[in-house]
Amino acid sequence: MPIIQTENLTKIYGTGETAVVALDHINMAVEKGEFLAVMGPSGCGKSTLLHLVGGLDRPTEGRVLLDGRDLTALEDDNLAALRRRRIGFVFQFYNLIPVLTALENAALPLLLDGVRPAEAHRHAAEWLQRLGMGDRLHHRPDQLSGGQQQRVAIARALVAEPDLILADEPTGNLDSRAGDEIAALLRRISSEWGRTILLVTHDPRIAAHADRILFMKDGRIIDETRLAGTGEEQAQALRERMETL
Amino acid sequence: MSVRYALLGLLAQQPRHGYELRAAFEALVGGRDTWEVKPGQVYATLERLEEAGLIAEVGVEKEGGPEKRIYALTPAGREALQEWFHTGVVGDHHRDEFFVKLMVGLLVEGTDLHRLIQVQRNTLYQELHRFTRQRMEADSQTELAYVLFLDKVVMHLEADLRWLDMVEARLEEIQRQPTPQPEPKPRGRPRAKREA
Repeated sequence: MPIIQTENLTKIYGTGETAVVALDHINMAVEKGEFLAVMGPSGCGKSTLLHLVGGLDRPTEGRVLLDGRDLTALEDDNLAALRRRRIGFVFQFYNLIPVLTALENAALPLLLDGVRPAEAHRHAAEWLQRLGMGDRLHHRPDQLSGGQQQRVAIARALVAEPDLILADEPTGNLDSRAGDEIAALLRRISSEWGRTILLVTHDPRIAAHADRILFMKDGRIIDETRLAGTGEEQAQALRERMETL
Repeated sequence: MSVRYALLGLLAQQPRHGYELRAAFEALVGGRDTWEVKPGQVYATLERLEEAGLIAEVGVEKEGGPEKRIYALTPAGREALQEWFHTGVVGDHHRDEFFVKLMVGLLVEGTDLHRLIQVQRNTLYQELHRFTRQRMEADSQTELAYVLFLDKVVMHLEADLRWLDMVEARLEEIQRQPTPQPEPKPRGRPRAKREA
């Protein structure tokens, strides 16, 4: 069963003559452990798709299934709880809290979920270390570069151990080198740590790290490319996974 | 052309025999998968370089197997190499197969040009993915030259993809324009010059 599945997912903003169809009956699926990129010109609906899949917004029509469970049927409180535990978000502008350190920012989702601070901090430190931020635990966001701030944001997205990471233009505010590093990191998060990633980007170099690309235009999926579809490459990835487990 | 001068450069570093040159060349450009040269090409090139006086045989290595002739660079060879260093290289931007395909697609009625572009885009993305993986696996502490080469490939593929987007965005406009025609030329044999 796919981890994410959409059925006729549609989002219309406004009504009557001024109505804008942002998403037009999207049917797509994301397999567990897959790294999927969604590309398309601005206004094509790719961010709307990400927001609906993440339960940040409600569709006008259609459903989003997370492990077969209908997100759109959940009450707001239940949806929020599910989102906190199952889905990690990464945004273009990091959205870190300026007065908190890297460690405190990364631990935040666990603290909000009632985990004891010592435990939350230990876990956040672990993820920051894996993401190459071990020597910056006590820096505040304004003491970090853009790429480093995004690493903290990724650690925050992973700290509750969600299966699914949703990333909306995570390299959009970075120079190409830092952007490449973040993309390579997302690749590792998928390959080494087995997380499913849905990435929205307009940058071909970033999308090239994915296993598959969906191309969108005018609220529809117009094409799809499998990048890592060869049996050999998948077998290799599997072997590497087996070794790390 | 590049192989010829690369062999000169490798001989400028130290005298070597053909077998060694071939291995050294392939190592230099990132491995046999990147650029394979056949032994025959190496020996034929060495022969031509020797005839041109750019290299000379300086000895023979006999170790069990067949004799291996060792070559070194001559002063004329050193000069030719310097000249090559100080000459710019112009890439071949014409004779692009996809461009020809696109133009022919415009000619042939009923061609799904959007599909033609999509298929090309998919192919380029698969290439980009492959080189991106190689780039990630390469160690910039020890293989920086190769990493830079991969960066170049990635950047070119990226440019090709951006260009495809541009072509697709302007497809209808292109289709409205006349297809390029050969310039009209007078038929038959050229006429004798009129008397002055």
